[in-house]
Amino acid sequence: MALLEVNNIHKSFGGNNVLKGVSLKVEKGDVISVLGPSGSGKTTLLRCINFLEKADGGELVFEDKKYDLSRMSRASIAEIRMHTGFVFQNYNLFANKTAIQNVTLGLTSARRVAKDKAAKKAMGVLKKVGMGDYADYYPSQLSGGQQQRVAIARALATDPKIIYFDEPTSALDPQLTAEVLEVMRNLAREGMTMIVVTHEISFAREVSTKVMFMADGVVVEEGPAAEFFENPQMERTKEFLRLTGK
Amino acid sequence: MFNEKTMELLVSSFPKILEFGLKVTLPLAATAFVLSTILGVLVAMVQYAKTPILSQFCRFYIWIIRGTPLLVQLMVAFYGLPLLGIHSNPFVMAVIVFTINEGAYSAETMRAAMEAVPAGQLEAGYCVGMNYMQIMWHIILPQAFRTAFPSLFNALISMVKDTSLASSITVVEMFTRTKQIAGQSYNYFPLYIEVAFIYLIFCTVLTFLQKKGEEFLGSYGIRK
Ligand SMILES: Nc1ncnc2c1ncn2[C@@H]1O[C@H](COP(=O)(O)OP(=O)(O)OP(=O)(O)O)[C@@H](O)[C@H]1O
Ligand SMILES: [Mg+2]
Repeated sequence: MALLEVNNIHKSFGGNNVLKGVSLKVEKGDVISVLGPSGSGKTTLLRCINFLEKADGGELVFEDKKYDLSRMSRASIAEIRMHTGFVFQNYNLFANKTAIQNVTLGLTSARRVAKDKAAKKAMGVLKKVGMGDYADYYPSQLSGGQQQRVAIARALATDPKIIYFDEPTSALDPQLTAEVLEVMRNLAREGMTMIVVTHEISFAREVSTKVMFMADGVVVEEGPAAEFFENPQMERTKEFLRLTGK
Repeated sequence: MFNEKTMELLVSSFPKILEFGLKVTLPLAATAFVLSTILGVLVAMVQYAKTPILSQFCRFYIWIIRGTPLLVQLMVAFYGLPLLGIHSNPFVMAVIVFTINEGAYSAETMRAAMEAVPAGQLEAGYCVGMNYMQIMWHIILPQAFRTAFPSLFNALISMVKDTSLASSITVVEMFTRTKQIAGQSYNYFPLYIEVAFIYLIFCTVLTFLQKKGEEFLGSYGIRK
């Protein structure tokens, strides 16, 4: 039984068909890397699955419950979001909150967790991402890599069943990228289920259980990571891997 | 012109004028400012959320208020409300008119400040499971208020001076009191200089408070 299934999702902006029937299946513990050229619809896919964008059609199965993506009720959206985390390309930390407040807010305000209990939990996840010493810093006082690690801590704090990452390192220089990837590698090792849109081919190769390659709003090729990289089938995939240097 | 008699008049009238400043002018401006800020935030939230119908109603309110002079609004309230059977003392009426007037301006200030908060802040709030009102309360409004604060305070400083218009609906505030004293002594010019000086002190103190307020609200480490 899959944790999450997306079937035949469609999305267009005006006349621009961005997702033309994408499906995917996520088992518990999967780390799925989503690759693809710019504009292929990767971000849109993640945003639709977490309802930041309203899909035109498609089905979502989350923990054996079926939902029509084009007709989500506010209650089911809220219910599903209680169990998902999202990490943005540009972090989106709450600018008026310190690192630890960023992490506790989802607990105290959205889940009615007591303040001291939330603070304890927050400190735990901040330490886990190596940001324990920066709890009282505001986002503007942190480097990009540090901000992204706080953002990951924020997503982790609510014990999500799955975390979506949208190019979490593409705004970072190589060293900061390494910091963030290290945190994600550890999460994968601990069995966290993740969908990661990324341009980091080596990360995808090492860490992911499955790889999905998208172009022009469709899934061109997908498969277990080793197979995908060692033996790509489609011409489009081979060209993409060649261009991105392996 | 500034002979001994004038000096005496200035000294003796100073506490009398100041008294009306502290008892009428400042309370009028402060109360109207607090109420208008609350009104402005509510109207801004309706507009930000694009709530149907209510939002149009708010635009209509802003259109009317910004399109007519404050003095005229005071007159309309003064002569109009009794026709509707509403009788209240002139001070309360002035508070109401100043609140409604300033509310229209602060609503626009707040709406712009809310719209300047990046959409990612709202989205991140949704992604950690918060609902719309929780995100408003913890994220959007605090950030918007920080942005809007200098403009709102600017409006307060303007309002302190505009309270003199309340004299038109028989509120005896600082300026009216000055006119009365001047009328008794037939010595207008020095007293008007004196009241100008008191307004200036009030506004200087407010400017100082604005600076303190900005420090208190903080800049989330941005300029530390
Ligand atoms: N809010 C929007 N309004 C209109 N068009 C949009 C919107 N968001 C995305 N698009 C369009 O959808 C297409 C896919 O965008 P998307 O951001 O999903 O691509 P991507 O695969 O994430 O690309 P990248 O690798 O550059 O991040 C693009 O053509 C883009 O212009
Ligand atoms: Mg993208």
